[in-house]
Amino acid sequence: MTSVTTTSPAMPPARSPARASAARIGIGGPVGSGKTALIERLIPVLTERGIDLAVVTNDLVTKEDAERLRRSGLIDPARVSAVEAGACPHTVIREDPTLNIAAGDELEAAFPGLELLIFESGGDNLASTFSLDLVDWWIFVIDVAGGDDIPRKRGPGVLRCDLLVVNKTDLAPHVGIDLPAMLAEASAVRGGKAMIATNARSGDGIAAVADAICRAVLFAP
Amino acid sequence: MRVIDRIIGNRSEPEIARRLHHLDHRHAVDILTIETADTARRRLRATTRGGEEIAIALPRDETLFDGAVLVLDPDRAIVLRVGAERWLRLVPADRAAAVELGYHAGNLHWRVRFDGDALLVALDGEPDAYLARLGALATDGRVAPSVDAPPETI
Repeated sequence: MTSVTTTSPAMPPARSPARASAARIGIGGPVGSGKTALIERLIPVLTERGIDLAVVTNDLVTKEDAERLRRSGLIDPARVSAVEAGACPHTVIREDPTLNIAAGDELEAAFPGLELLIFESGGDNLASTFSLDLVDWWIFVIDVAGGDDIPRKRGPGVLRCDLLVVNKTDLAPHVGIDLPAMLAEASAVRGGKAMIATNARSGDGIAAVADAICRAVLFAP
Repeated sequence: MRVIDRIIGNRSEPEIARRLHHLDHRHAVDILTIETADTARRRLRATTRGGEEIAIALPRDETLFDGAVLVLDPDRAIVLRVGAERWLRLVPADRAAAVELGYHAGNLHWRVRFDGDALLVALDGEPDAYLARLGALATDGRVAPSVDAPPETI
């Protein structure tokens, strides 16, 4: 199992009531921003907190991300389901999320104690958003190497997500980015809504993302 | 923290209305107000007008609505109020402006309604952010904007 350099304080979430379905969260963002890497880091942190989870991945015409997670050794491969989104990844998380809803329902039926379902969108553009019919709460991942002008472009994904993750902070000096200025600009366009800077390779910031998930949909203190 | 995992009913149902009426006399009806956009969520945490932080975790086949009764105890009730949606009213000056406005609204994936000659855009933020996206159409006065004031909520 991959080790996690950032350890998290013990923060057991409130148990899901028996009637409710598992909490469903979305993780979207541009191609290569680090969505799968973020999930690979989150799985051991959330598992360590005793959270029963499963993942639905979305790819264009393959099951690449699902296979990557299944091979990772981080999660029972049966707990990873793949949806092939076709040409437009946002279509199956926003306009018609039926395929993803069905994949989530199947995982909930297969694993009755499931508390958290993570839907990873296929890599998309800055206009990508999740339907709240599919998820209760969603994260949008951008990365420093994508350019410090991304927040200024005011894409709906950046503006409307519940949590903005700015990943690959370690690359800032190598690509000429003033990280504090980029984060300040992102916070300004979002009107101060939640944002966390991460380095998914080292694990920096991952515990804070896990805290945000636990608090928002699993009702941890 | 109280976790609400079911909607008890609608405040207008006769038996529920009767019980709410009695509780209201004792100032025991608390109100939870949420934004229209949040009604699609099955899970959220929020604070009532009376200051109680509550968690909502509904099955996926239940949906929040204005007037949903979330708690109905002998000594206390919590009723959901959904904040009125705000709409940006855009009136194009002529046919050419209307065509251009329609293009922008579609291209930007705005939620819209039609009211005679006006296009109404559901606001999820400040109007200026929407007008900025219209560029010259707004700054040249080819579209006249105004915000429909939401009705007062209880």
